[in-house]
Amino acid sequence: MASHVIHAEKVCRIYSSAAGLTPALRGVSLDVERGEFLAIMGPSGSGKSTLMSILGCLDRPTSGLYLLEGIDVSKLTDDELAHVRSTRLGFVFQSFNLLPRATVLRNVMLPLVYSRGSTADRELRAWQALAEVGLPESLYTHRSNELSGGQMQRVAIARALVNDPALILADEPTGNLDSATGELVMRTFRRMQERGKTVVLITHDSSVAGWADRVVHIRDGRLLSDEQERAYVASLAQREREALVGTQEVTSA
Amino acid sequence: MRIRDLFYETFSAIQANRGRSLLTILGIVIGIAAVISMTALIDGVKASLVGELGLSQSRTVMIDCWPGREVTMDDIDALEAGMSDDYEFITVASYNSGTISNGVTEEQGTLLGVEPDYFEAMGTKAIAGRLIMQSEEGAGSRVILLDQTIANRMWGSEDAAVGQSVHIGNDDYTVVGVVGGSGMMSGQSFVPLSTMQKRMSGNSGVSQIIGFAREGTDMDGIAARTESHLRSYFNLPEEDPSSPDGSSYYIGVTTMASVIEQLDSTMGAFQALMTCVAGVSLVVGGIGIMNMMLTNVTERIREIGLRKALGARRADITWQFLLESITLCLVGGAFGIILGYAGANVLAQFASLSSEIGGMSVTPVISPTAVGLASGICVGIGVLFGFYPAWRAARLDPVESLRYQ
Ligand SMILES: Nc1ncnc2c1ncn2[C@@H]1O[C@H](COP(=O)(O)OP(=O)(O)OP(=O)(O)O)[C@@H](O)[C@H]1O
Ligand SMILES: [Mg+2]
Repeated sequence: MASHVIHAEKVCRIYSSAAGLTPALRGVSLDVERGEFLAIMGPSGSGKSTLMSILGCLDRPTSGLYLLEGIDVSKLTDDELAHVRSTRLGFVFQSFNLLPRATVLRNVMLPLVYSRGSTADRELRAWQALAEVGLPESLYTHRSNELSGGQMQRVAIARALVNDPALILADEPTGNLDSATGELVMRTFRRMQERGKTVVLITHDSSVAGWADRVVHIRDGRLLSDEQERAYVASLAQREREALVGTQEVTSA
Repeated sequence: MRIRDLFYETFSAIQANRGRSLLTILGIVIGIAAVISMTALIDGVKASLVGELGLSQSRTVMIDCWPGREVTMDDIDALEAGMSDDYEFITVASYNSGTISNGVTEEQGTLLGVEPDYFEAMGTKAIAGRLIMQSEEGAGSRVILLDQTIANRMWGSEDAAVGQSVHIGNDDYTVVGVVGGSGMMSGQSFVPLSTMQKRMSGNSGVSQIIGFAREGTDMDGIAARTESHLRSYFNLPEEDPSSPDGSSYYIGVTTMASVIEQLDSTMGAFQALMTCVAGVSLVVGGIGIMNMMLTNVTERIREIGLRKALGARRADITWQFLLESITLCLVGGAFGIILGYAGANVLAQFASLSSEIGGMSVTPVISPTAVGLASGICVGIGVLFGFYPAWRAARLDPVESLRYQ
């Protein structure tokens, strides 16, 4: 089990808000091995981002067990979690979350500010990370709000790589990219995987998911394997046909 | 997070909110300006009074003695002998007025006949030439220590006056030196006491008695002892008549130390008032800072969420916002210090214009203590009013903050 970077057991996450309780995750169990490249697919609102927050130690499960590299995250203090995030994890957010007024370089260096490493090579590491995602050098000193959506997305990916994290979590990292740039980003993730890193990425795009070693599906807060997903889709299609037949019967009657 | 990174964040944040920051620190600016102008003026007034009145002579005792008859040199000798434990010496001045001329110009001036001890007791310094010497007092020499204004009117400068001669009555006097002094001390020229007694008519006799206490004497005690000594010497009752007139008598002993104390307590009242003004505007300013920092935190919730997601700890966030409010207060303080000294200079200008007769000029004093105190107050306010917003920022939940719109 120690070789599992991620070990989740019956993880539930229930949001409570003014509108009532929303169970976003209902008993998710997932194991990801070291060096694995996993894609998670699912429709909007199925709980993908919620799952990513928990895997990325930004949030704690309402119930269930989550071990990151064998450590029970729920037993760590906020500051210990912050330390884990800054040294072990690289996070690509669904909505890039760049500091709008800061330059591209400063944005990419931000995780290094909090990881208490040496300051000397910060800029060098930021350059290397930006080179990995193929952002033109002329943009490095631009403010991040002067970039296009796709450029911002690549800056966000570079920021996730800059700390040399063991686990990379990416929430729809290719959502705003054309297919050529998307492919470049996927090649980057593959290179990371070849260097021994574990990659978990969320996508809607099955061609993007094709780059992964394994694909899992999520529906209404539950994980489904490939076969379960096919069965689910088939049963869904069956029900739709029946419903269609039903309406035809009604209209003909 | 390193100090350098903290400062980077602070300055870029303040830079981004320049206009709002400037408005917010106004309260601090005014408060600190009040503190600074107050201390600068008080120190300036003190310095000029001490300088001009010779108040720095803390061992000097002014003895006012009108026992109902003429005080003679024998009385002074008896007093000196009777109180030799207390006084190093007792010296006198005799007043006279006369016309001083150099053949071209004539000036009316006050003449004081003094023993050379007098200069030591009063802290008088020659600004050109030298003071009168003991040998000249012994010989009754015709030498004069000329007032600065007269010297300037006659010869254009103090240095040019030295060595010249002037007429007073029928005699010629050699100018050995020039003394300065504005305010109460202005317009006084000095000749040896023996010379005045021998050569000038219309002397006032012993008109001023000055004692110079021995090193380490208790100044309040010496005043009381001198007074009771004089009362028993002249056989006077304990109390002076309530409305003294020419035929009556009066004994008063004032030490310079007590004058300084009295000055301090008058200034204290002014100081208390200004402290209240400063205190109120600083509190109002502090609340302004807190309000702005709370707005800042709300505006930057997503940024805070992001920083936490990327590994910032509570302390990192707390420090970031705390340093921002401290820096704002310090910037306000810096403006306040500049404004305070500028204001103090303007006020001092008015003060010296309106008291032209006294001619007292006040130069505001920039003291490192005041600047240090002001900076300390600023840091204190920054911490006090910045802590709550910073603490709130540090406690934000990363996921919820990132979702905040
Ligand atoms: N903070 C919250 N408070 C209440 N409900 C929430 C909160 N965050 C998410 N939810 C709900 O949880 C469910 C899962 O949301 P989540 O953001 O994980 O979806 P998603 O799979 O990432 O969707 P998308 O593909 O559109 O990004 C949704 O129904 C959402 O309304
Ligand atoms: Mg999502």
